[in-house]
Amino acid sequence: MLCNWGPHTAFQILQDKGAEIPPEVKMIRIPCTGRISKSLLFKAFEMGADGVALVGCEPGACRYGSGTAAARENTQDMREILGLLGLGKERLRLATFLPDDSEPLLQFLKDFCSDIQSLGKSPLALGKATKPEAESRELLSDIISSHDVYACQDCGKCSSTCPLALSGKDFSPRALAGSIIAGDLDSSYVKEDIWACLTCGLCYDRCPSGINFPEFIRDARQFFKKAGVDGREAHGGFFQSLMRAMSSPKLKTERWTWLPDNIKLDHKSKVLFFGGCAPFFDIFFRHHLSVQTSNIIVDSLRLLNFFDIKPALLKDERCCGHDLLWSGDQENFLRLARFNVDLIHSLGIEEVVTSCPECYRTLKHDYINYGLELKFKVTHIYDLLEKEIDKGAVSFKKIDKRLTFQDPCRLSRLEQKADLPRMLIKRLKGDRFQEMQDSGAAAICCGNSAWTGCDSFSKALQVKRLRQAHATGSDLLITACPKCQIHLKCAMEDPFLGDELSMEMMDLTSLLAKTICWE
Amino acid sequence: MTAKQKQNKEIIITGFGGQGIIMAGRILGRSAALGDRKESVFTQSYGPESRGGACSAQVVISEEPILYPYVRHPDILICMSQAGYEKFIVQMTNETILLIDQDLVRPTLNKCDSFSIPATRMAEELGRKMMANIIMLGFCTAVTKVVSLNAALDSVASSVPRGTEETNIGAFKKGFDYGLAILKGRDKKAVGRTGAV
Repeated sequence: MLCNWGPHTAFQILQDKGAEIPPEVKMIRIPCTGRISKSLLFKAFEMGADGVALVGCEPGACRYGSGTAAARENTQDMREILGLLGLGKERLRLATFLPDDSEPLLQFLKDFCSDIQSLGKSPLALGKATKPEAESRELLSDIISSHDVYACQDCGKCSSTCPLALSGKDFSPRALAGSIIAGDLDSSYVKEDIWACLTCGLCYDRCPSGINFPEFIRDARQFFKKAGVDGREAHGGFFQSLMRAMSSPKLKTERWTWLPDNIKLDHKSKVLFFGGCAPFFDIFFRHHLSVQTSNIIVDSLRLLNFFDIKPALLKDERCCGHDLLWSGDQENFLRLARFNVDLIHSLGIEEVVTSCPECYRTLKHDYINYGLELKFKVTHIYDLLEKEIDKGAVSFKKIDKRLTFQDPCRLSRLEQKADLPRMLIKRLKGDRFQEMQDSGAAAICCGNSAWTGCDSFSKALQVKRLRQAHATGSDLLITACPKCQIHLKCAMEDPFLGDELSMEMMDLTSLLAKTICWE
Repeated sequence: MTAKQKQNKEIIITGFGGQGIIMAGRILGRSAALGDRKESVFTQSYGPESRGGACSAQVVISEEPILYPYVRHPDILICMSQAGYEKFIVQMTNETILLIDQDLVRPTLNKCDSFSIPATRMAEELGRKMMANIIMLGFCTAVTKVVSLNAALDSVASSVPRGTEETNIGAFKKGFDYGLAILKGRDKKAVGRTGAV
């Protein structure tokens, strides 16, 4: 990708001279390298590029001032992500040239092409992009009847509890369900709202007919996706792209290279720790939110080590597929699911432990629901810790903080395990623990799920949630899902509210790991 | 200490009447004799204290026939009441292993190795205060290994009232796990790794 200004002039000089530009270079003219986001950089790989060179103006020569600096950050982040993903950092490069630098540009392109040739073809091979199919109304009516949406009594309890509706959005679960039943599929309202739902499950919790609205939305999204109605994917669809990329058969991820040395692992263990995508999140959000959700993985492993459990890791772990499943891409979800299950079976694993509520839910239920057979049991790390701590002889150091807790929707509501994190929190020695106004199964969502439908209303609901947290008078917000951390941190950076919302956050596993000790 | 003395394990269990002290002694003796195929002798104190005050059970376990049934210097002293602790304190040596219910006994001197467990509190949490003795037995089995786990489990199951086997085995395991956790904690402390981070 070539910036329109400096390097493009150089490129044109090469063309005028009839210089031998390597034939595999496919030049795409762009307005400025700073405008090429991480998701666009990754899209190039997703579309089959073996290598991507982002070629811009030298720092200081950027016509827009900050373009080169932004490109540098994006390229650096993307290179690390490509490294973790197993694609190799070297496949992405940033170079800068002045308009007169035609010869150096030519040399760069030749070097880059020969480097990429020595690396070989990109291992990314995606399932064919699903082409818009003719709408199959039958499929949709199957989805409607399998979730028994017809049982809706139109009572409106869902709308009065929906956190999106309560933050002012013109959104109503029952109206959406009604429109879909009525076949009003082309209305902009339906096309928009199908992606706006947070799938947090509060409406399901309240529904007197017991209609599983989140799962209905999830399955209906498959239909709309197939019908070519695109999801409103956040972050330019980067995470969906990343997760789709992980379903490439030949890819060998290298996601554990960053683990500290003093973590004890045993590759022959029958207990496997499934980490999840937190390391990718941390790199992606480094310059924006500087969240450190990988600490959840490290601290979980430390807690397992504390109890003398040395787990195995999947060297080639792929995403569990949660976000693809919930954003309408069942096909690639299933590819990921099969890879993970086959790999876990090949290691003879008997128990999979995970600290991510989404991985837990997906591994434990959705793999089976979509027809996979599991020869292992799935345990959330809180269950394991509660059992071990309950044996006794373990205590916790004092925490000079007043605590409150953000429930993760996948664990507290969809799995109905709201008590589990609380049992652990009660063991902690904080100054005190105070529930927020809405807690447990009634807790408000962190504002997003499956990287879809982030908008001003979901932001408003995050603000409301953080205000609830502040109203408890607490100064440490405990979270239990990497995404709650990311989304609430994002809301805290609201420029109009300044520092009003900011609050220290820590994942429960980190808090346990920091304070647990043998008596 | 002679070789013969080493093979002997002398145990005193003491507490209030009604805590199941005698029962615990009986189960311990039975585990050794029936499960581990050793010799064991069990005596219980018939003093005036057994009418509502401190009571005690004495168990001797040995590889060889036991010629003297009473305990003079216990290898293991299990105390579930302060009065019991104070009565038997004089018989302790510095090689005795002392096991106490930490909520009921406050040790007054630091003569020997001791382990504590909130047995009564744990029994209350399980819903039956009466099971504190079984929890203590599990704890004793884990910490002292005076009887084997399977022998103790069989003996608990065959000694408790019918219908309560499962809950009692659960209580035993609770105490046993606690004992193992205590030992693990000691090992970790010994190598200076008390925390997770």
